[in-house]
Amino acid sequence: MSTRQGSSPNPALRTSLPTAFASVVEESSYAHPTQEEQDKYLQARPGATARHLGIALQHAQQIQAQKDAEGMILDQDVQLFKTALQLFRPGDYDNMIMERNYEDLCGYGLCPRKNRKQVGATGSTFHFKYGAKGSGPGGRGRAVDIVPRENLEKWCSDECAERALFIRVQLSEQPVWERRADETEDIRIELLEESRERRQRQKQKQKQKQQLEAGSSKSASAVPQSSESDITAGLRDLKIQEAGRSQELALERGDTGLSLRKGRVDVQLKEKEPSSQSAPTAPQLGPGDEMGGSIEGYIPQEQLEESSNTLKDRDILDQL
Amino acid sequence: MDGDVSAHSQEAEKETTRLWRTFRTVYEMLADRGYEVSDDELAISLDEFRQKYSDPMGYPDRNKMKIQARPTKIMEMKYTLKTKSNPNPTPDCGTVYVDFCPDASGVGTKQVRAFNHIVGESNYHTGIFITQTPISPSAVRLLSSLPNHICEHFQEQDLLVNITRHELVPKHVLLSPEEKARLLERYRLKESQLPRMQVSDPVSRYLGLRRGQVVKIIRKSETAGRYASYRWVI
Repeated sequence: MSTRQGSSPNPALRTSLPTAFASVVEESSYAHPTQEEQDKYLQARPGATARHLGIALQHAQQIQAQKDAEGMILDQDVQLFKTALQLFRPGDYDNMIMERNYEDLCGYGLCPRKNRKQVGATGSTFHFKYGAKGSGPGGRGRAVDIVPRENLEKWCSDECAERALFIRVQLSEQPVWERRADETEDIRIELLEESRERRQRQKQKQKQKQQLEAGSSKSASAVPQSSESDITAGLRDLKIQEAGRSQELALERGDTGLSLRKGRVDVQLKEKEPSSQSAPTAPQLGPGDEMGGSIEGYIPQEQLEESSNTLKDRDILDQL
Repeated sequence: MDGDVSAHSQEAEKETTRLWRTFRTVYEMLADRGYEVSDDELAISLDEFRQKYSDPMGYPDRNKMKIQARPTKIMEMKYTLKTKSNPNPTPDCGTVYVDFCPDASGVGTKQVRAFNHIVGESNYHTGIFITQTPISPSAVRLLSSLPNHICEHFQEQDLLVNITRHELVPKHVLLSPEEKARLLERYRLKESQLPRMQVSDPVSRYLGLRRGQVVKIIRKSETAGRYASYRWVI
């Protein structure tokens, strides 16, 4: 995975696709000034000629092209980062953070900055972190967090720590070699920025809905238009290889039996049917029970014989 | 200012002494494994070490401390497996290369990659990588990933003392393939029926043992004088 470095001393951290794209769009609107703008520019500078302006424009476009390309590289980075992380387990991810720290880089994979070094006194293993005013218990004072220094030195900033840990919780604990094909595909890693944006969009949508419901008059202007990002998200969810369909396809090809798809052993869960419909009856007092009877349901052999004997006797008496 | 300098020199002296002990253990280890090591190298004194390997500040210069050694005839014999189909085999051992990593902390894949490169480039059979701090898990994995070469890792503090010289550690002797075959025949055993010993065992690491080898352990015994037992390395 490559991180862009060296283009400027402190390159801007553009971590998500939308922000990168937005910045490109914003810049490209300045790329082609109209004739009026050009004339105005020349009038303001008496020494400048049209040729100067031409050269300046050419350079500007070159820089623009460079920026566009860099933006695209970043897009590639983000995509690459996400697809590469699908195979990671949280432990592997921690290793990656450690390796990056050894190289003096922030632990977050897409951050080109250096990690923090020696916050506070040297040699101390813990560091006090004070929250904002009024964040303490009962809304008074400041909240104090005691953080191990090594945890602080993993990242360049708290924001990056949040971003990195946000990704960590999305990773699967199951090792790659035990996952089935469609399981790896199902792991969709989302950057913190993307998730925030999505949530905001959902909120807006809800608001719009509420407004629509509140407004009794039908206003055609408030029709929610699906944005470009919505469409891309929809496309992403449209899976070509759905679990069920891929199973069907495999059967059609005769790849493997359906029973072996789920693992080596074919496990079929079968619910046990209740054998009798009648409700269980309460136990009734047996013949020898007043003398002690059964011991937790167990009737000693002697007693049993006795009781059966008495039963027999009684039978004979009746007959007589 | 004066105190500062003396504190510095004290620090340097301490580090030099520690490293000297590690360095001597490394030579002893190589000799015990059966590499060619001269007596001068084995008995290097602290002064000599300081003269040879310290920088102008008095600190030891780890970049200078690279060791190479060739196996002796005895060692080659122990590592050659003669079979009917292969009557003239080449020994499974060769030149060893020892590298001391100069980085004081944070040894990761970068340094290990450089070490692997040296080992692969110069075609050393075995490489021993010695660092001051533990190396990262991915670096460990990378170290063992070099095909046809054996790369080992030690920490400096592990080699501060030669563990095999301790009175409670019995003598371990590696058996050659023929000796192993004879032993198994003598006792009518399969090798899996021998007692076992892990590759990660400190003595096993010290001797650079490999999976499947058998060592003879000679202990002192009050009743029998000497008592030999065997371990299969797994």
